Amino acid sequence: MSIAKRVVSRREFLRLGGAGVAGALLLGSVGCGGDNKSGENAIRWQAIPAYSLQAPDENRVEYLQNAISSWEESSGYAIDPLVTSSDVTEAMALLLEQASQNRAPDIAMVDSYIFPRFYDFVQPIGDYLGDISLSDYFPFAREVMTGEDGEVKGLQFTTDVRVMYYRTDLISTPPTSWAELLRTGQDLLSEELTPYLFPAGRDEATVTTSLFPYFWAQGGELTDADGTPVFGEGENREAMVNSLSFIEECVESGITPRRVTDYAKETDLNGDVASGRTAMFLGGNWQVNLLKEIIGAEQFVSQWEVAPVPSMEGGPNHTTTAGGWVWGVFPEDEEKQRAGVDFLKTAFVSDQGMAGWCSIGGYLPPRQAVFEVPDYRGNEYTDTFREHLNRYARNRPAAETYQDISTALQVAVGQVVSRDASPEQALETAVRSVSG
Amino acid sequence: MLSEKKIAGRRTWSETITDSPSPWLFPLGIILGATFLYPIFEIARLSFTNAGLIGGGYSYTFESYLSLLQSPNFANMLKVTAMFVSFSVVFQMLFGFLIALLVDQGAKRGLRVSMVTRTAVLSAWAIPGVIIGIIWSILYEQSAAGILNYVLSSPGQTIPFLSDPQLALASVTVANIWRGTAFSMILVYAGLQTLPSDVMEAAKVDGANAWQRLFRVMLPLLAPILFIDLVVVSIETFNTFDMVLALTGGGPGRSTEVVALSIYNQIFRQFNLGQGAATAVLLLTINIVVTFVYIRFLEGNQEVR
Repeated sequence: MSIAKRVVSRREFLRLGGAGVAGALLLGSVGCGGDNKSGENAIRWQAIPAYSLQAPDENRVEYLQNAISSWEESSGYAIDPLVTSSDVTEAMALLLEQASQNRAPDIAMVDSYIFPRFYDFVQPIGDYLGDISLSDYFPFAREVMTGEDGEVKGLQFTTDVRVMYYRTDLISTPPTSWAELLRTGQDLLSEELTPYLFPAGRDEATVTTSLFPYFWAQGGELTDADGTPVFGEGENREAMVNSLSFIEECVESGITPRRVTDYAKETDLNGDVASGRTAMFLGGNWQVNLLKEIIGAEQFVSQWEVAPVPSMEGGPNHTTTAGGWVWGVFPEDEEKQRAGVDFLKTAFVSDQGMAGWCSIGGYLPPRQAVFEVPDYRGNEYTDTFREHLNRYARNRPAAETYQDISTALQVAVGQVVSRDASPEQALETAVRSVSG
Repeated sequence: MLSEKKIAGRRTWSETITDSPSPWLFPLGIILGATFLYPIFEIARLSFTNAGLIGGGYSYTFESYLSLLQSPNFANMLKVTAMFVSFSVVFQMLFGFLIALLVDQGAKRGLRVSMVTRTAVLSAWAIPGVIIGIIWSILYEQSAAGILNYVLSSPGQTIPFLSDPQLALASVTVANIWRGTAFSMILVYAGLQTLPSDVMEAAKVDGANAWQRLFRVMLPLLAPILFIDLVVVSIETFNTFDMVLALTGGGPGRSTEVVALSIYNQIFRQFNLGQGAATAVLLLTINIVVTFVYIRFLEGNQEVR
């Protein structure tokens, strides 16, 4: 007895294979369609890791989960959460690239200093603001959020400010001028104590915290109205040489160690501060909560106070850098724009939303009124930070050349601190780098 | 008659296709073209533009190459890269060879420590570059908490491992040698396992001492492996940026900014896609030239022999 073999022809094989692939695709698409978070009613919401559902802080995650679920229930929309890489600059670069190719998420958070470069890609959202008044924002935040055409382009929801921290048990009156700072530092100089620290590595903090406040307080400008770099010309050049020379003097006098070139971010100084061997340092408001955790809240508050970043002349003439984060809204669909802004207001921008998020994260609100909201919980230094935001803060220029300027000046500071170049030589190289 | 011819023709066509390797290589060709050749083409094309990372319009120009060549940092970047690569390659190969010899001799003598050594060295290779950068930054820490400073420096004095421009480059190179030695060791160790034992024994019987056996017998036999090691380690070191980024970010100033890191900075920090692409083409050219020089050198040596 023979068993007839069933031979599958090539054509049958291809038909079967094709049907299988088509079936798989169909099932896949049905599966995708079933996901509420990627359908038409989903808002793709992108945040950096610390501001997302993947944040290491459970309080933040809980706040976000509650805000998202309650808004989803009331709006009928779903939030599709996306997270960027932890390298913020790289994440912003990729978002810019996506936005320029119409592939940006519906809502994404953007570092405030880079937000003006998104003006051409974000949607105007002034019509959806409701009771949120633009005049309530600090002037520097208003400047970032509003394009040249007067349209509201984004919603800033956190801000920050750079200050000088000093030890009250060592320094009774904080220095306000460079001469006072050098004098105070030299009086404190010993093997056990490092008088003055600031970031001088290859990152944004080197310019925003350690250079621009000195430069701006002398009236220096990085760019002209067209965005052309002018920091190496005329009075700006003089202001920049003065600033770099002061940094050089801090190192030469011994009050600042050369190892500050290792510190790329303000938080890199936390170890030195916690060791108890630092008398003064330039840092950001966001370090308060971190240092309280490291040193102990009571000890930190009893030992440390904040003052304006010293300026060349001192007195009331100070400047500092403000930053923060802005939400950009990208979809062309007006309903989605409205829904997106509604979510942002609920979770981050309304009085309660901003107070809630800034309290949880330890951020400063960019809206004056939020400081008065009962639910807003600042810290012992919040009033001083608020005063600095009002009196001294300014933004980095919105020019397209800013990234080149920042990199060139980071290098200049590094060269001066490491004695690789004089202030004049370092500035000359920076000017040539930017103009080349 | 006609239908028979048709059938014969069809058979010939299908047989031709079946017998040819082309259909089987076609998918691989598509994948290689899409993932390897097309990106290279795109980088080369973008290098002749003034494109930024944010998109928008761009035009074709030589400006990216001109500004790269006229940049005040260009010569320094090449010098830093040359020193970083040459010292890294020489010492990675040297240490890799020595460790492989020790591990091989230990294994032949049945010492367990050789397996431990092999595993320990390999673990360095398995650690991502960014983590290595962080580990070495802790070792190089210049404050009182620094491990190497605690061991090496005198009280009150610290060694500026990462804040002195010259020392920073040396420190980064040492960290890279530590990272890359494992790869050389693996290759050489594998090569040592393939050495014909009769040849080695014959040399011994003929009275060759250990040095003579090493230089006259072992090294010539290992030459192809060492050549592959040289090429791979050189290219890998030229392309290294992750560890340098984590360790110094290219600083202080630009004293440790190698070409690969400069590409990253130009594209992702300064959004300058055109000039970043031009620098990438420069790096690709350097890699090709170096490999070509190595091949010519090896061919020359073989002809002499």
